[in-house]
Amino acid sequence: MNNLELSIKEIHSRLVNKEITPLDLVEECYEKIEAGNHLNSFITLNKSEAMEYAKELSSQEVETDNLLWGIPIAIKDNISTKDIRTTCASKMLENYIPIYDATVIEKIKKQKMIIIGKTNMDEFAMGSTSRTSYFGSPKNPVDPTKITGGSSGGSAACVAGGLVPLSLGSDTGGSIRQPASYTGIVGMKPTYGRVSRYGLIAFGSSLDQIGPMTRNVYENALLLNTLVGKDHRDLTSAEKEIEDFTRLIGQEVKGMKIAIPKYFVSDIVSPVIIEKLNHVVELLKANDNTVDYIDMKYLDQAVTLYQIIAMGEASSNLARFDGVKFGYRSESSSTVEEMYENTRGEGFGKEVKRRIMVGSYLLSGDNAKTYYDKALMIRNAMKKEFDKVFKEYDFILGPTTTTVAYRLDENLDDPTKSFMDDVLVIPVNMAGLPGMSIPMGKDQENMPIGLHIIGNRFEEAKMYQLAYDLENKLK
Amino acid sequence: MNKLTKEEVRHVAHLARIKVTDEEIEKYQIDLGKLLEDVDKINDIEVETDELLVTPVDQEAILRNDQETRSVNFDEIKKNVPAVTGNFVEVPVMIGE
Repeated sequence: MNNLELSIKEIHSRLVNKEITPLDLVEECYEKIEAGNHLNSFITLNKSEAMEYAKELSSQEVETDNLLWGIPIAIKDNISTKDIRTTCASKMLENYIPIYDATVIEKIKKQKMIIIGKTNMDEFAMGSTSRTSYFGSPKNPVDPTKITGGSSGGSAACVAGGLVPLSLGSDTGGSIRQPASYTGIVGMKPTYGRVSRYGLIAFGSSLDQIGPMTRNVYENALLLNTLVGKDHRDLTSAEKEIEDFTRLIGQEVKGMKIAIPKYFVSDIVSPVIIEKLNHVVELLKANDNTVDYIDMKYLDQAVTLYQIIAMGEASSNLARFDGVKFGYRSESSSTVEEMYENTRGEGFGKEVKRRIMVGSYLLSGDNAKTYYDKALMIRNAMKKEFDKVFKEYDFILGPTTTTVAYRLDENLDDPTKSFMDDVLVIPVNMAGLPGMSIPMGKDQENMPIGLHIIGNRFEEAKMYQLAYDLENKLK
Repeated sequence: MNKLTKEEVRHVAHLARIKVTDEEIEKYQIDLGKLLEDVDKINDIEVETDELLVTPVDQEAILRNDQETRSVNFDEIKKNVPAVTGNFVEVPVMIGE
């Protein structure tokens, strides 16, 4: 059984021709997951429900116009799934079972996709390695001694390892794109507002966005088609016409104007990564596209901004975990105040506690003006910088990360290092732009290297056009 | 030199309603200090605007119709509540003696 190695289109045609059923696909997923369990990419498997649903689908007619019918998918464990445990990789939510579906889950179910399980991640999505998970680190399928990146590490590992064809991640400061880069897959963080955040357990609400993680560009666009749309339950979701994100795929990329900020190719980036980017630049130029290296202000300050805004927002978003109505509650408290402190002291991990405390500090008293307001001014200025560039250029390119995935035991317990892993991808969240990572080669040790494509707001279709073109040329 | 005193760490932990043990205080003093050193770099950045960007969304907020929608009943909610008495959520004493 090697159906899962086929493209979605090929799987679909096998389903239509009755050569296979959804049950075959689901069984194959679980066989692979159980055999590949060393990757630790899942926190919770949805096995009996998925098998039952697959059986039910197997007795129905295949929807011939729905390529995602009966296709297995994995979901990051911060996206609420009715009746499936949703832990955010935290002891705090170890036994939490949502009573409602996130909007994206409703949409996935409408397509008759099959939820295989909930993927491992950094606790409450705080981290860049997935090592802050209460359930242990997921491992990189390319080299299991290396990190997957994060925070959507499990979602990246299960797709890269061939356990499931598609997954959902979330991205607050690079959490889809950076692990996609480290594991050699395609990850898209859509424009802020493109995908409803209803049911996504909030970390930094003005930055968070759900997006698809897939083996190739076409399937990424296909999955995004399912996820988008205005949702009255998320006030920030965008009022946009439904569009087909695959529509420009296959069209030639010619005469486009591409900018590469000099900071993205500065000495913070490994030479081998620059080398791969240079190759991409040659490919683009060979097809009559222009590539300019430009100056852009504020990019080098993105990490500082992110620390203030994301930790500030996190400290207020995570105030809801108080042990009262759901989640972990510490047993030994004589007053409610004590219960809050004990519950949060025992229920959260180190990284989360650090970030909540710093966030509380930054938002308290006069600090709110000194730090938070200042950060929002710079955020405004940074967005204007991007707007200026997109008046003249079609895309901004760069590497997704400054290095390839490092060892699981490297850089442990450094409170600031993990932020630096996302230095090149954070600006996109600040400006609410769409950003995606596609593989652009490997280093000497076979570790994947990602190309970061940044588009203007709501121009995902055009990004897929470029990404598909480069994906083919880089084969 | 740590950026926060032990007392300040305790204060911040209290603001965040996070219990920090005496053994943990020193470690947090160092870790929070490092993070705050990073964050302090914001003061060196010159910026050309004084307008704040709270969210990247530029559409106007649209209110939804004032209609009754799905509501959940307590039996469903109850499944996740750590301690329940009848139809109430049970918590320790809220007002001290």
